[in-house]
Amino acid sequence: MVKMATKTKLGLVFFPAFDWAIAPDHPEREERLLYTRDQIREEGLLDLPGIVEFRPQIATRQDIERVHICVPSVEKVCTESHLIAAGGTITAGELVVSGQTERAFALLRPPGHHALRIVHGSRGFCTINIEAVMVEYLRKLHNGRLRVAIVDTDAHHADGTQDIYYNDPDVLHISIHQDGRTLYPGTGAVDELGGPGAYGLTLNVPLPPGSGDAEVLYAVEHLVLPVLRDFQPDLIINAAGQDNHFTDPITNMKVTAQGYARLTELLAPDLVVLEGGYSIEGALPYVNVGIILALAGLDYTGVREPELPPGVQKDGRVHEAVVRNVAFLQEVWARRQEIDPAAVFGGGNYYRRKRHLYYDTDDIHEVQVEAIKMCAACSGYRELHSFAEDRRRKQARIAAVLLPWHACPACRQQAEEAFARLAAEPDWDDVYYQNPADPQRPLVSKAGRGES
Amino acid sequence: MSYRIGIDVGGTNTNGVLLKGAQVLATVKAPTDHHNLHAGTREALTRLLAALPEKERGPVELHLSTTLATNAIVEGKGAPTAVLIIPGPGLRWTDLPVPFKLYPLSGYIDHRGREAGPLDREEVRRAVRAVKADGYQAVAVVGKFSPRNFQHELAIEELIRAEFPELAPVTLGHRLSGRLNFPRRITTAALNASIAAIQAEFVRMVEKVQDQYQLGKVYLLKADGGTLGLQESVHRSIETILSGPAASLMGAMALTAEIEDAVALDIGGTTSEISVFSGGEPLAEREGAVIAGYPTLVPAFFSRSLGLGGDSQVTFDGKQVTIGPQRVGPPVALGGPQVTPTDAVVVLGGAALGDAKKAHAALQAMGAPFGLESRAMAEKIVATFAQKAAAAIRSVYAELNNRPVYTVSQVLAGADLKPKRLIGMGGPAAYFIPKIGAELGLPYQVLPHYEAANAIGAAASRPTFAVTLRADTMLGKMVVPELDYEAPIDRPFTFDREAARQEAIRQAVNYAKKMGVAVDPDEIEITEEEVFNMVRHFYTVGKNFNLRAQVKPRIHRVIP
Ligand SMILES: [Zn+2]
Ligand SMILES: [Zn+2]
Repeated sequence: MVKMATKTKLGLVFFPAFDWAIAPDHPEREERLLYTRDQIREEGLLDLPGIVEFRPQIATRQDIERVHICVPSVEKVCTESHLIAAGGTITAGELVVSGQTERAFALLRPPGHHALRIVHGSRGFCTINIEAVMVEYLRKLHNGRLRVAIVDTDAHHADGTQDIYYNDPDVLHISIHQDGRTLYPGTGAVDELGGPGAYGLTLNVPLPPGSGDAEVLYAVEHLVLPVLRDFQPDLIINAAGQDNHFTDPITNMKVTAQGYARLTELLAPDLVVLEGGYSIEGALPYVNVGIILALAGLDYTGVREPELPPGVQKDGRVHEAVVRNVAFLQEVWARRQEIDPAAVFGGGNYYRRKRHLYYDTDDIHEVQVEAIKMCAACSGYRELHSFAEDRRRKQARIAAVLLPWHACPACRQQAEEAFARLAAEPDWDDVYYQNPADPQRPLVSKAGRGES
Repeated sequence: MSYRIGIDVGGTNTNGVLLKGAQVLATVKAPTDHHNLHAGTREALTRLLAALPEKERGPVELHLSTTLATNAIVEGKGAPTAVLIIPGPGLRWTDLPVPFKLYPLSGYIDHRGREAGPLDREEVRRAVRAVKADGYQAVAVVGKFSPRNFQHELAIEELIRAEFPELAPVTLGHRLSGRLNFPRRITTAALNASIAAIQAEFVRMVEKVQDQYQLGKVYLLKADGGTLGLQESVHRSIETILSGPAASLMGAMALTAEIEDAVALDIGGTTSEISVFSGGEPLAEREGAVIAGYPTLVPAFFSRSLGLGGDSQVTFDGKQVTIGPQRVGPPVALGGPQVTPTDAVVVLGGAALGDAKKAHAALQAMGAPFGLESRAMAEKIVATFAQKAAAAIRSVYAELNNRPVYTVSQVLAGADLKPKRLIGMGGPAAYFIPKIGAELGLPYQVLPHYEAANAIGAAASRPTFAVTLRADTMLGKMVVPELDYEAPIDRPFTFDREAARQEAIRQAVNYAKKMGVAVDPDEIEITEEEVFNMVRHFYTVGKNFNLRAQVKPRIHRVIP
């Protein structure tokens, strides 16, 4: 008699980090997932057939360096809780790609979607981009042959994830968020559409303040789902921030727990990763139960907040700005392969941009100059110059050369040359070289005089 | 010197023991008569009391371990039970994984214990009338988050007592456990209600025995290896489930000098039970016992059952030996129809049991088609048995060390459980344990087979109980659900971790007193403690505390 193995529907990697805070009264504090823990326990969700809880692993320095250039080093910018949050997200990813569970939910903190490729410190409560660390871990397992879609539904623009995948042809990144003109970090306009190697694979749907279930679900049904059908990813990840909720203290949105659960059901993601969400009592317990039930294929319609204030409606009229933005992006998506790169990114061999970046959590200002090789054979290597200054006027000046997955021989050679040239220049504290596909060397090599 | 009698009413035999301190004065054994548990108990008592020295006659404490509650549940003999639930929003009540008739009521308590929706008394009345009309005789009442606020449950109890006395007493969920888990609380309360009448009848019988023999206090053994006073068991009979396995572990502890970090394997006929000791204490289930497939909140020792025993069915396909999980009959040596691991032991000379010739012939027949003579076949079977048991033990430790943890420091601490020794129990243990120990690379110890071990475990056990303290200084309120205790926090700004500890200890001592047990505050330990600062709009506005305090499950040592 053979016992039929029924596949677990949902793996839950729950890690509330009850002994860690950015600061005692910071939104990212010990208490944040306490009420969520209580609600999950009291609902008895972990006894339900099909839901199994897992302990997070601890991410290694290598896991972090597949994604980030940490200045001056991984050890200096990360606490152990960052490594566990990133490791727990990897655990969730492994559950799904190994087939141990059908889906997984990394319900953990601290979050990560504001963490950029280069990390000088913490911004938007984020230091390490936990989704990207997981994606790169899984891509490594598949030798870079993995197409991934990240749909970020946090109220804040996922500028970190966008930065990391801006020029990556195998990762589609869609962010739905409160309009950047009204909320940190300010970016995420409809015309930010990706670099020359991945045009149209970065999509941003800004929502006007006051948007609710209707707006979010409209964007999902009319833009995200059709785009996903076209892109055919191997893996769909929902970066599920919960600060769109009508009770969130730091945003101005009106999404409900039912809205989140419906969103989860429609999107049917393989992986969900918690991002922000700071209404720790009024939103998180209900939103997380809704998401868990939806992921496990159970009836979530009984989940609701203690009271819905007037003005929050499920089936209201969709805000006209959202309809307009979605229509614009549908057009972009349809014509993404017809564009003339020179018209969008300028002529010449490199697409260059200069950005001012701000680390609100650590009060660091950074100026970044980036050059992306416009290459017909691959997505192109990148050269980055980064100047950062913290509030004590401590400065960091670093340069980095990044190779993409599947770099062409020419880009590989030019990247090596660029690294040698930069390493010989006296201007830099450190010069970094990152190659995700290199099995031999450490993922990030360093040449320089900076502290390590 | 105190005298104690332990009686374990097992599935097959009733064993009894009379202890004087750590000394065994007498043991008795009689077959269990399932139709008349009382008769066997009386007989054992009579014989044990006869062994009591004349001049020392006086009240003797009686500790009973019975299968009464377990059997009533497993065999479905409890009263038809209805549960009035206050589910509030969340998982649909129709999706609750509980096998009872549920009557949902309005009312809503949130995760902090605040009332977010009122109870509707008229609706309660209608529901109770429906319960009666539907023919239910026992009632449990369970609200979501009732351990944080049990006023709705109390109000329903009061209403039933006043208006439907024929259905009283009802079981209230919050009194049985302060832990959060609504479905498990429903199951625990419903099972408790369903066997309450059976338990009450049993208690009346034992009280007669108590009078007749002029016994001292009578205690019943619980699934967590502690005892429960006879009278109190009428209200909390569910805690006496699975007392047999608990008695067996308590017996092992009472009879073993040092256990420390060990894994115990109790090898039976059809199954083997794996238990885990850490620092000399048996590990407890994280949330509670599972009985007849139902997860509950009843505190219990951790154990995992393995479909592997001395009488398991053995098959051989020429390459692989398969053992269990079925049992077809007794070993061939004892006239059974098919080869069992016990037959292999008999062939290898490890046990003198039944007809060794029959065992030889059966193993010869099994191995011959593949060119194996009976001894080689027997060795293959024993090796497979040891490998299976060792693999199961390894996976139990993997499971335990992968239990989710919620703090950075616990994750960094990594795997914390590791056996240093293998302890074998049960009839076939002597032969298999050395081989399993070799597989695991662990030193081993086989507890001498001692028929009265379970009875000794019962006699050697002591009262245990736990209380849950929830204090919320922002609400200015604290509750101890097990005691129906709710009180304001007088000085919320100075109520700190130490104040919460003292309060939890005080409540545990009170609880003990209520149960008729005198305990010292220093016998109470805090087993769980959470303290959270509550910050609203960037200001610290209070703290909330979750504590559990219990009397340490201690044991009297016994010299075998
Ligand atoms: Zn956010
Ligand atoms: Zn190239």
